[in-house]
Amino acid sequence: MKKLLSMVLVVCVLVSLAVIPAAAAGEELAGTGASKGEARKAELNIMMSFPQYMDQWETYCKQFEEKMLEEENIQVTVNLEMPSSDQYESILQARLSGDDAPDLFTLHANNIGTYNKAGYLYDLTEQPLADVIYENVRDTVSVDGALLAVPIESQAWGVLYNKEIFAQCGLEAPETLADLEAICATLEEQGYTPFMLAFQEQWVPQLMTGLTLGDIVSGKLTDWLERMYADQGSYDEVREIFDVIDLIMTHGTDRAMEEGSEAGAADFALGKAAMFVQGTWASNTIMTTNPDMQLGVFALPINDDPGCTLVNLSTSTTLAVYPESEELDLALKFANYVLDENDSSELFQACSFNPLATVHDYEAFSWVADASAYVADGRAYQDLVLPSSVTDEQGRLLQEYYVGSVTVDEIVERLDKAFQDANALS
Amino acid sequence: MGSRRHPNRSLLLFCLPALVVYALFKLFPAGAGLVYALTDWNGLNRDYDFVGLRNFAEIFHDRYYWDSVLFTCKYTAVMVVVSNVLALGLAVAIESRRRAKGFFRTVFYMPNMISMVIGGYMWMFIFTKVLYYLADNYGMKFLDRSWIGDPRYSFIAICVVAAWGAVGYLMIIYMAALQGVPRELKEAAAIDGAGGWISFWKIVLPMIRHAVTICVFWALNAGFQVFDVIYALTGGGPGRATQSVAINIYEEAFRGNIRYGYATAKSTVLFIIVLVITMLQLYLTGRKEQEL
Repeated sequence: MKKLLSMVLVVCVLVSLAVIPAAAAGEELAGTGASKGEARKAELNIMMSFPQYMDQWETYCKQFEEKMLEEENIQVTVNLEMPSSDQYESILQARLSGDDAPDLFTLHANNIGTYNKAGYLYDLTEQPLADVIYENVRDTVSVDGALLAVPIESQAWGVLYNKEIFAQCGLEAPETLADLEAICATLEEQGYTPFMLAFQEQWVPQLMTGLTLGDIVSGKLTDWLERMYADQGSYDEVREIFDVIDLIMTHGTDRAMEEGSEAGAADFALGKAAMFVQGTWASNTIMTTNPDMQLGVFALPINDDPGCTLVNLSTSTTLAVYPESEELDLALKFANYVLDENDSSELFQACSFNPLATVHDYEAFSWVADASAYVADGRAYQDLVLPSSVTDEQGRLLQEYYVGSVTVDEIVERLDKAFQDANALS
Repeated sequence: MGSRRHPNRSLLLFCLPALVVYALFKLFPAGAGLVYALTDWNGLNRDYDFVGLRNFAEIFHDRYYWDSVLFTCKYTAVMVVVSNVLALGLAVAIESRRRAKGFFRTVFYMPNMISMVIGGYMWMFIFTKVLYYLADNYGMKFLDRSWIGDPRYSFIAICVVAAWGAVGYLMIIYMAALQGVPRELKEAAAIDGAGGWISFWKIVLPMIRHAVTICVFWALNAGFQVFDVIYALTGGGPGRATQSVAINIYEEAFRGNIRYGYATAKSTVLFIIVLVITMLQLYLTGRKEQEL
């Protein structure tokens, strides 16, 4: 009996072993059966820095695979990697310098110059995608007229505000610093905290310098940045930016250093403060926390000249093609597919990215519309490209300024030095 | 036969696989790092220039680097004392129990099994939410401090988290050593009239001196290389107030001006500092051990 039982078991195992590969092979056959002739096999390695949109991009890659099989008879396998954004840049650097470069990779628009100098970016000027990108966006991803990356996240941004609270207090978006002071006073009278402060991560306080420097440089000191790059300028000339920074810090929520950017966005959504110096990229968190939130955007005033009250127009994430890719043709096809006539809109909408090309025909969110209205009025400036060490230093110094361990004089001195150091190195 | 004449050769052969792996993945990168320290490579470009000892000369004027060295020394000093005292205390307390030894050992060892980055984020929640909740709702006003924002308190926060992670590991080493102390010695001391306290200082501690050496050595090493706890808790901030050397080097290599060569020079200097200190420590404690 025992013998019989074990015989049966052995037969079962053998049969199952024989059936599995056969079934798998059958599936494979069914998969390729539809296409004409033998499909060429290819692999495409893509590395991206936003794991929060993993699902959307995976779907898009699948669509690309299907499209390629159908149109080009190429059986592409897209390997999509999404390291966390903290480590992304160090991984990318290691892979590029270690001859293990992905075929396509995302990078911050501010780094385009550096990567281009090192020879890691393919010139996309001749590609079909170049014709569909809006011109003001194309400028943010071009160097000397050459289009070097596909813009993905591009935004006009300023200060986020809670329209509901503003309406309750009878307030409107400010035009001058005096207006903003009055808004703070009214809000406090009505029991609201004016500004949400979330300074735990250095890049969040840094947004204040991002906005105010852009305002001042585009509004009146138009040659400041140029002179800074020539070691002939000083932060002393833009000291005025601290008027509004002081205003924000003194009328903000408590415990700013203990508040991360995500927590800050969530608290802002729940009405803990009426305004938040944060880009529209936070809208995802805000709207998930409070789907009924009435979110608006206004330009941050820095003085009493409304001509300096502008929104920032910038591109953050872009997608670049590695020039020595083994599948360069395919990589370029993917780059073009990102701004595809039929499918791109759906992807950009699913990720709640802003429209940036003529192929994007979806309706923008209210806060995007607010900011776009400034752009349409010509009240926008191109994001300033500072050396990234200076940007980091600004973030650090603003943290220290908030906790009171540096004065404005020291900030001016240290930023001038950081700028000169960066100049000396480039 | 050959091996009888050259006993070292067969020993070497047995060690060879491990040696090759060690040389390939540890020694070679370390040596290559020394070469990069003499260049101006930015970690990205395909070509770079040799700049001689210019990177090292620059380090001497780098205020932020020396601030971070000072911070790391302060951190290491505190951590060596705190984690060893706590670990030894716990080990003695658990060893003196008759029951549930295994339970307590597991409980205190547990944090060691979690990555410190994750542990750091867990504690971040405690420092930024839980403590304030207690302060606001239960009147524990002494908890209402800026645990992340004020360098004085964030130093305490960092030490608490780091000790929480390290104590379990050191405790296990101390427990193993305590079990090796012969019972008859303790009994003889008790018969001679020594109380618990004297017996600990005169009998137990000298008998576990080798474990003390290992644990202090480990804590020193871990202290100088501290990165994850600080990275997860304060990110080195506010500003650079809680920046350890490892974080300073990381930021130099991967952020801002991405100066890979210069960062490697900085880590070489750190290596020399740690080497000198551990050699000094090994020399001093080794001498004491020999006295026994």
